[in-house]
This record gives sequence, structure tokens and C-alpha cells, in this order.
Amino acid sequence: MRRSASVSTSLWFVALAVVCAFFADLTISAHDPWGELARLFSGLLTPDLTRTDYLAEALVRTLAFAFVGVGLGAASGFALAMVFGSRIVRTFCAFIRAIHELFWALIFLQFFGLHPLTGVLAIAIPYAGVFGKVYAEILEETDPQPRDTLPFGTGKIIALLYTRVSQAWPQLVTYTSYRLECGLRSSAVLGFVGMPTLGFYLESAFAQGHYSAVGALLLLFYVLITTLRLWVRPKLVPLYLMVAPFLLGSGLPIRWQNVTRFFTEDIVPAPLRGGEGWSELGPWLVELLSTEALPGIWNTLVLTQIALVLTGVLTLLLYPLGSRHFTNRLTGPLGHTVLVVLRSTPEYLLAFILLQLWGPSMLPAVIALAVHNSGIIGHLIGRRSNDVTLRPDAPTGIERYAYELTPRLYGPFLAFLFYRWEIIMRETAILGILGIATLGFYVDSAIQEIRFDRAMVLILITALLNIGVDILARWLRARLRLKHTAQSEP
Amino acid sequence: MLGRIAFCLTLCLVALGASAQTFVFTAIPDEDETRLRERFQAVADYLQEELDVDVRFVPVKSYAAAVSAFRNDQVQLAWFGGLSGVQARARVPGSQALAQGAEDAEFVTYFIAHKSTGLKPGSGLTEELKGMTFTFGSKGSTSGRLMPEYYLRKTYDAAPEEVFDKVGFSGNHSRTASLVATGAYQLGALNYTVWENEVEAGNIDTDEVNVIWETPPYPDYQWTIRGDVDERFGKGFTDKVRKALLNMDDPKLLESFPRSKFIPADNSDYAIIEDVAKQIGLIDE
Amino acid sequence: MTALALDGVVARYGDLQVLGPLSLELVRGQTIALVGKSGAGKSTLLSLMHQHWRSRGVALMPQDLGLVPTLSVYHNVYMGGLAQRSSWHNLVTLVRPYRHDVAQILPVLQTLGIDHKCWSATGELSGGQRQRVAAARAIYQAGEVLLADEPASALDGPMAETVLGALTQTYQTAVLAMHDVDLALRFSDRVVGIADGGIALDQPTHRVQASDLLSLY
Repeated sequence: MRRSASVSTSLWFVALAVVCAFFADLTISAHDPWGELARLFSGLLTPDLTRTDYLAEALVRTLAFAFVGVGLGAASGFALAMVFGSRIVRTFCAFIRAIHELFWALIFLQFFGLHPLTGVLAIAIPYAGVFGKVYAEILEETDPQPRDTLPFGTGKIIALLYTRVSQAWPQLVTYTSYRLECGLRSSAVLGFVGMPTLGFYLESAFAQGHYSAVGALLLLFYVLITTLRLWVRPKLVPLYLMVAPFLLGSGLPIRWQNVTRFFTEDIVPAPLRGGEGWSELGPWLVELLSTEALPGIWNTLVLTQIALVLTGVLTLLLYPLGSRHFTNRLTGPLGHTVLVVLRSTPEYLLAFILLQLWGPSMLPAVIALAVHNSGIIGHLIGRRSNDVTLRPDAPTGIERYAYELTPRLYGPFLAFLFYRWEIIMRETAILGILGIATLGFYVDSAIQEIRFDRAMVLILITALLNIGVDILARWLRARLRLKHTAQSEP
Repeated sequence: MLGRIAFCLTLCLVALGASAQTFVFTAIPDEDETRLRERFQAVADYLQEELDVDVRFVPVKSYAAAVSAFRNDQVQLAWFGGLSGVQARARVPGSQALAQGAEDAEFVTYFIAHKSTGLKPGSGLTEELKGMTFTFGSKGSTSGRLMPEYYLRKTYDAAPEEVFDKVGFSGNHSRTASLVATGAYQLGALNYTVWENEVEAGNIDTDEVNVIWETPPYPDYQWTIRGDVDERFGKGFTDKVRKALLNMDDPKLLESFPRSKFIPADNSDYAIIEDVAKQIGLIDE
Repeated sequence: MTALALDGVVARYGDLQVLGPLSLELVRGQTIALVGKSGAGKSTLLSLMHQHWRSRGVALMPQDLGLVPTLSVYHNVYMGGLAQRSSWHNLVTLVRPYRHDVAQILPVLQTLGIDHKCWSATGELSGGQRQRVAAARAIYQAGEVLLADEPASALDGPMAETVLGALTQTYQTAVLAMHDVDLALRFSDRVVGIADGGIALDQPTHRVQASDLLSLY
């Protein structure tokens, strides 16, 4: 009964994606796409570190922005988790995390300019929203009984630290270090909009087709991420957090009148700013909605749907790489590495690369989103499959896959997929900055035209769309009785 | 540990204090951004010597970021395109165009086509172009977006999205050249100086891609300075900067732009750009 | 000091009334053994008492122990004294315990034979060891009244006696829910039997007859 509901829901999703695929532009228009890809790979094989100036600086900045941003986000997220019972706080968290870090960066760039605060806040704010939610969920799942045994008169915060936080500590640490990895990706990607991190140079090198420089930067980035566990030790984290703020660089000084101007002039809708009055606001909004918001929403939805389903398909194909039931001592680490590389590649970066290689269409975005997200979910499902005990006489190979494991893992698989739905949509919107006509494209256009009033309306619409999808996903999870736990992100 | 923190704090404060007195300039990222800092650092050194103040160059990632930095007074001088200069000056009262490249008074845009289109060099904006794929440069570029869009609209009496099957924004001129060269787009429009530079440097195979049309001339790139620099850096500072720019004759420095030399310019030179931008709807009336 | 009393209390599970209404007065200096079939409502009655008297220096040792498995034995025991210390002191202790606190806690652990586990994570201990940690926490708390639910269920004979002895020595006033009738009789002054959602037996221990107990089971 339950399974058939899951399966029929899945089929609906697939059917919808197929319909969407008819509306989507999925062509490869590059004249010689495989030649470009070959050049990229030869660049990866012949990395050249000397072609990028200020490489060490970029590396240090990438780390510094990640540490400070994630640190601030975790601290404020923890505070938010303490009061997460309040509806206002929950809505607030949902809102700030619905806006992608690149959008936050684009907003802060307008009044803080190229100051470290722009990058730090761009990471810290959306991360605080995510941390708030996930920390609250993790703490919620702890055993309440120790709290009852505490002597009367124990302070609230002390009680919390000794009981719930202590119990959840391992999960909190695992989750936070996973977010640190995400933070490194975000930090690198912020370079694309002007922060002095790896992305800054990666974009330039790519634009010029300097593939050896690209290769060097990419490899450096992977090394950074894969060795994370080696040098991020719990004992060293306080030291890193203390040093990182001093390594952000000084940027350009902030002028506070710019902040005031941004909020009191720049984002005020043009008709109101121009003194044309409220009567003109309607037509202004209608024009914005019909020419930019609606096409943007449509493309965002279409692209999200295709990417979501492709992510699902790819996950089902990839999870055996992370499962002990399909790998041995030799292939296990190899499969694990493949999944880690897939999930470590920021989708923004991947989409950018594929766009350069294949030419403009939705295809690079779809592939990038599916690859990155299936790397993450595949990893989780693989790990989950390791908890399944098979009988010694269980079938092997494809039969084991089709009859033993996949049916048992299908529930968690759907739960994870729905959990990432909102994230995929947020990414879909942001990929518009690269030129795919999702909402991000129109946001970027408005910013390039220095019309922040329009940009803000579009960003708000993007945020609402994300919140809507989040609610829909939660409703579906509840309807299919899929257990959703805080560990839905690794 | 505490000593180290104190030391770092002092360093930061010194750095902040110093940057308050630093004259900062930027340039729109219109072409090869790699080694941009290196190339413009030489210009910064030159200006520092001529002006007798600390001069710093900061790279930005987009035209809008250059305009924002100028407007936010984080940079006081900028090498803008025609459109970005107009946008910037409209937002900073008292700012003025100081100098333009000798080539900028009569700038043109090249329309280029991949050989697979079968279009002959110099064949013009014909009906054949309809339904092909086309890329502009940056969304905020004059030669890569504003003027080509203007002439497209004038020729076909329709928005580019209606004329072409697909319209993209490559980001900058050299990327437009390479995207059309690889056939990712069939057509593109770009800054003629970048094109000629790339051809000369051997980065473009003219058998694969060629120029099919060039626009009539219009004014483009210029140096723009904020109106309040005299207050901050001393009387006559604006004139000093203008003189330094006009006197720049080291070919190595001029190569960064790339221009043969700089000639005087003023705000009124760009009225035509403003008109076109308003017609297209890139600037609010 | 006023006596601790429950007056006509009721426990509900949803719409279902599972216990009460019942009244019970706890006399200072008296140890009550709470006996009855499993499921009779001993634990429910204990938690009712805890709710009512919480603010009056009551220590609780629940059946599931309420330990924090990720913390060390030391920290779990230290939690009995959280209310006596400043927040700062408690905060520092999480990272680095104070020597004089350790000097107080170690003897308690020694009495219960788990001092060698002082710095082990509580989750890694056996059931019996964990029960002793919970007892140590109650002893370290040294409140007015102890409410303990099966405080020796996972312990063998001699150790069960040691633990119960240590608990009743620290707490003059206590309510111990126990399924082991022999132990219950030996460590209590008064026996309260629960059956059918109410008090079926309430006698000084020395007057309890075997037949009184049998009627409960």
C-alpha cells in the first residue's frame, strides 16, 4: 500500500519531467564539444600553478572566508535553534536560507562593495538559516529524560548544554564539518562575483581557455576538500577560527552612507522613487512580472523538475559505489572517491564548465545539478545500505541490486531526494547568472542594469518559490510517511 | 597567542588607515582577466609616481560591480565603457569624463560569424541571420551589447530575442570571440580592438570565424573621476590625474587598454550613448 | 518542614485514567518501598511525585537512568550538583573539571566500585555499571528526597546491596520502586503496594505479611 504510493508518486514525477523536457532547450550547440572536453582533461593532466598570480593568496582567502562565514553561521544558527519553536523564527530561517549565498553576495556587493564583510555575510546568513533548522532537528531527536533528572534550579542554558547538546554532540560535529566543506565550495564560488577566492581566478582562466591553469586550480580545490578531515581537527578549530578573520584581507573601506542609500533609495521601486506615486506601482510590477518573473519562474520550475528526476535516476545508478554490498576492499575506496569528487564539485562550477564546453542550453545546468546532488544522495544511500544485513545466500549482482537492496532503500532515497528538492531549486535559480534563463538570469540582468529595485523583487520571488517547494516536499514526505531525520544531509 | 592577535590587529588597523588615504581605481573586465592585476599594477605604479599619492588597482568581476564601486566611493577613478560611464556619472553628481583612448572617439562593433553559417565576410545584417544563435558580450557593455542591440533593433525592427533563435551573454569580448570560434554560437558582436588584438596574437583562426559587418562609429571607453577628489586629495587633483593620463606614453602601459594614446574627453561626448540606452530601455527615462 | 503529600492525584494516558485518584503522605526520615506487578503504575506514581515535588529538592533516578551516553561518567555524576554551582563553573567543567570537584566525586564512585571508569564515556559501560553511575549522580546530588525507579535491577546481590545501602544512607527520605520484594523489605521502613490504579497496601515494613504481598501479584 505504502510502497505503491511511493512508486506512483515517483512515476508522476518522471512523467512530469518528461513533459518538461519537451519544453526545455537541451541541445549541445558547441561546434566541437568533445574537443573542448579533451582540452580540459589535458589541462587537468598538465596543471600549471605558475599561470595564476596570487594563487597562495586566493587559497588563504578561500579558507578564511569559509571558516569565518561558517563559524558565524553556526554560532547564530545555534542561537536560532534555541528558539526554533517560535513560528517567527522558523519563518525567518526559511526565508534567509531560501536566498542563495551568491544572491546575498550580490546584494551586499552593492553597499559593502568589495569588503570582506560581503563574502562573510553572504555565507554566514544563509548558513545560519540552515544551521538553525538542522541543529533544532538534531537537538529535537535527543532523549529528553536526562533533562528531567537534573536538580531543580539548574540554569536553562547549562541544562541544555549538559543534556541535549552533549547527547547530540557527535551529530552536531559531523554536520558542522560537512557544512564547512559546503562553506569551502561556497567560498570558492563567491570568487565568480568578485571575492578574492579561487573562483575569481578560475573564472578568468576559464574565460581565456587557459586549461592548465584551470586544471591546477581545480586540483588544488579538490585537494583542499579531500584533505579537510586531515587538517580540520576539533582541537585546531578554535585556532583556525581565531586566525581566519585576520586573513580575510582588508578589501576596500565600507562607507556607511551607501548602506543607508541602498535601503532608502536603491531598492525602492522606481515609480515610488521617481515620485510617480502608488498608482504607477501596479503597472511597474505587472511589467516586471510578465516580462521577467514569469518566464524566469517557468524556466526555473522546468529545469528543477528535470534536474530532480535525473538526480534520482543517477543516484539509483551510483549508490552501489558507496555500498559494501557491491564493492570489495579494492573497489570500495575507489567508489567512495568517485562519490566524494562528484559531491565536492560545486554545481555552479560544473555548470559553468559544461556551458563553456557544450554551449548554452539547459543541458549543462541539468547535468551539473544531477551530478553534484546524486553524488551527495548516492553517498548517503550507500552508507544507509551498509546497515542492511543480507542473508548469506542472498543473490548477487544485478538481482541483489534490483530485488534486495533498492526496494529496501527506496523510502530513504525518496526522503533524501525530497529533502534536496528545495536545494536543487535554489541552485537552479542561481545558475541563471551563468546565462540560463532561470530567475537568476533576470536578477543578474537587473543588477547589471543597476536596477536594484527590480533585483530585490525577483530575489524575493525566488525565495518564495523555494519556500513553496519546501512546503510541498514536506507535505509529500508526510503523505508518503517517509521518515525525515536531521541527518538527511550528511 | 595574544601577542600574535595584537600584532595582526595592529596590521589591520594600519592597513585600514592607509587605505582611507589611498587613491583607488578600477577597470571594467572587458577582456582577458587573467593577469589583469599584474597589467594594471603597472598603471597604478605609474599613477602613483605622477600623482604623489598611494594608488591602488582593484579588479572587479562585472561592469555593474565597477559602476557600484565608483558610486560607493570605493574607487575614485575608473576605466569605463561608454554605457557604464554614463550609468556611473548619472549616479555620482559632479563626476566627469577625463580622457578617452584615441580609438574611442570613433569606436565600432564587429559582428562576427562562424564559417558553418556560410555567411561571407562583410555580408552585412541580412535576412539570412534570422533564426541563428547570437551572443552579446557583457550585459552592461557598450560595444558588446548596447550598440549592437541598437543596430539589430534598427535593422530588423524587433528585439534580438525575436530575431535570433537564441541570444546569450558571453560575459566579455574575448569570450565572445572564442564562443563563436568554437561554434557554440553562430554569431556574435564584440569590441573591434579586442578582435584585432586577438587576431594579431594568433588566438583566432580567421578561417573559422570572420567579420560580417561593422557598426557606424560611436564614442566608447573613457576614464571617469569622481567630483569630490579635489576635496580629498587636494586642490587641482582632477587636473593632475587628467594630465597624468594624457601623458601616458609608455606602450607597455597603453597595451593594457589597448589604446595608442589618451585624448581629452568630457561628459557631453557621451550624450549619444545615453540616448541609445534610454531608447533600448537599459536606462530609465 | 512540611511533609510531602499527594492529595487525590490522577494520571491519565490520553483519555484513559491509569492511576488514581490517590493520596499519599511521605513522612520525613522514612524510606518507602513501592511494590506491585509490572505495569501496575509504580513508575507513573514516581513521576507524579517528581512533578509535584520537583522544586523541593527531590532527586530522581528513573528506570531508564537518564544518563547522557556521550559524556564521561564523571560529568554524568557531576550533573547532580549543577544547581549548586555557578554557570561559569559548570561551563568550564564541561571542558576541564575542577580538581576539588573531582576530589568529591571520586570517593562516591569508589564506594560503588566504578572509580576506574571515571573518565570513560558512559555509553560504553555495561547496564550494571550505568545503573551505578545513575546512583552516584543521585548520591552526589544529596537532595532532600530520593525517588528511584528500580535502582538495583541490573545489579547482582552484593552490589545491589551496596548501591541501595549507599542511597539510603545519603537519603533519609526516599521512595524506591522495586520488583525484588526481599530487597524492598530490607531497605524500607514502609511498604506501599499498587494495584488496579490505586494504593492496595500501605503498611510499616515490619508489619507486612507475605499474604499482603501475594495479593498484589
